[in-house]
Amino acid sequence: MALLDRIVRWARIKSPWILHFNSGACNACDIEVIAALTPRFDLERFGVLLKGTPRHADVLVCTGPVTRQIKDRLVRIYEQMPEPKFVLAVGTCACSGGVFRGCYNVMDGIDSIIPVSAYIPGCPASPQAIIDGVVKLLAGIDHPETQAAAEESKPAPVEDRPAGKEAVEVTR
Amino acid sequence: MASALFYILIFPGFLFVSVFGLAAEYIDRKLCAKLQNRVGPPWFQPLADLVKLVAKETVMPVDADLTIFRLMPVVALTAAITALLYIPMWGPQALFSFQGDVIVVLYLLTIPTLTFFLGGWYSRSVFSMIGAARSITQLFAYEIPLFLSILAPALLANTWSLSEMTVFYGQHPRYGLFNFAGFWIALTALLGKLEKVPFDIPEAETEIVAGSFTEYSGRLLAFFRMTINIEMVVGASLLAAVFLPYGLHLGPLVGFVLYLLKVLLVVALLSLSRTVFARLRIDQMIDFCWKYVAPVAFAQLLADLMLKGLLG
Ligand code: SF4
Repeated sequence: MALLDRIVRWARIKSPWILHFNSGACNACDIEVIAALTPRFDLERFGVLLKGTPRHADVLVCTGPVTRQIKDRLVRIYEQMPEPKFVLAVGTCACSGGVFRGCYNVMDGIDSIIPVSAYIPGCPASPQAIIDGVVKLLAGIDHPETQAAAEESKPAPVEDRPAGKEAVEVTR
Repeated sequence: MASALFYILIFPGFLFVSVFGLAAEYIDRKLCAKLQNRVGPPWFQPLADLVKLVAKETVMPVDADLTIFRLMPVVALTAAITALLYIPMWGPQALFSFQGDVIVVLYLLTIPTLTFFLGGWYSRSVFSMIGAARSITQLFAYEIPLFLSILAPALLANTWSLSEMTVFYGQHPRYGLFNFAGFWIALTALLGKLEKVPFDIPEAETEIVAGSFTEYSGRLLAFFRMTINIEMVVGASLLAAVFLPYGLHLGPLVGFVLYLLKVLLVVALLSLSRTVFARLRIDQMIDFCWKYVAPVAFAQLLADLMLKGLLG
C-alpha cells in the first residue's frame, strides 16, 4: 500500500492541472498567470495544463480579492472540483485583499472564503514567482505532514461582514 | 485459452496498446512543444496524468443518467482496443481476419465518437450537450470521406479483408502509390475523429469549456483520455496498413519496426497539423469536408474503379 501511495503522490506532483479563476483582480495578475503559461516559461515542463472545467482541475489558481458578487461563484467552482484539490492565491490581493482591503464591496483574501494551500504575493506576481509558488505547492504535496500542520495553524476563515448577500448556496 | 488471454491482455491487447497509446501521446505533445519552440513535458507525463486521474475523486453529476454516464467510457475504450486486433502489424497477416473486417474496423472506430455523444448528452450540462451535438455533426462530415478513402484501396485489391489487402499491395507495391490522395483524406478525417486542433470544435475549450467531457472527472475521464490515445494509435495503424503496406514481408521483426515507424510518421503529421492550424468553426469544417474532401474521395474511388477495369 505504501508503494501505491507513493506512486499516486508522485503522479499528483507531476501532473497538476490548473483552473484559472479571476475573483475580482484588476487583471494584471491574470495577465501574469497567462504569461507563465506561454512558451517562454513553458509550464508544461512541470506537467501543468490549463483546463477549462473545474471537474478536470487539481489546482484552482485565484487572482484578486473576492468581491461580494463573485463569492458564491468562487465557492461553487471550488465545490465542483474533485478531491484532492488545492488553491493557489496569486497576487497580494488574493493573499490579503491588498489595495482593496476594507472596501465595502470586497471580502478579504481568498482564504476568507475557501482554504488556500499556497500564497504568491506581488502586485502583480511575476511569472517567475508564480512558477516558484507552484513548485513550492507541489513540494507541500510531497510532504503531507507539513501540509497538514500548515492547514491546522491557519486562522479560521473570516466571517462575512454584515453588508451584502449572506447565503452561500452550493448547487451542482 | 492461454494464448487467447495473452492476445487480449498483453500483446497486442490491453497492455501493449496502452503503453503504445501513452507513448503516442507523449510523442504528440513533445513534438507539438518542440514545434512551438519550448521544452515540453517529460517522458512520463502521460503516465503521471493517467495515474493521477485514476486516483482522483470521480464526481457524479446529480442530473446525469448515471448508467450511461458510467458505461460510455468503458465502451469507448473496449471498441478502440478491439479494432487493433484486425489490423496487420508485424506481417501481412493480422491476428484475426475475415472478409469484411475493414468495415468492422471502421465501425469500431466510429463507436468512440458515439460514446462521446451519448456521454456528453447524458451528463446534462449545457456545455457537454453542445459539445455532444457538435461531435455528432462533425461525424457526418468526416465519416463519409474516411469510408470512401479506405474502401477505394479495398476495391482495387478486390477484397474486404485488411490482411488480404496488405498481401495484395505487398505483391503489387506500385498500386499502393496510386492511393496517395486517399492517404491525405484519411489523415484529415482522422484529425476530425480524434478531435485534434483544426477540428477540435466539439471540445473547444475557449468556447464550451471541455465539450462532451465537461462533467467527466477522475477515473471516467482517464478512460476517455486513454480512448483518444488508443484511437490515435489504431487510426494511425489503419492508415499504415492501408496506405503504407510496405516491407511487411521482410519478417516479423523488421515488419514490426517498420510498423512502429509508420505509426510514428502518422502521429507526427497529426501533431504538425495541430501546431500549424487554428480551430475552424463547425460550419466551416462541414463546408470544407463536403465541398473539398468528399469530392476528392469520390475521385479517388472512381480512379481506383477505372484502374481495376483497365487491369481487367
Ligand atoms: S495584486 Fe495588484 S496586480 Fe494583482 S489583482 Fe491586486 S492590484 Fe491587481
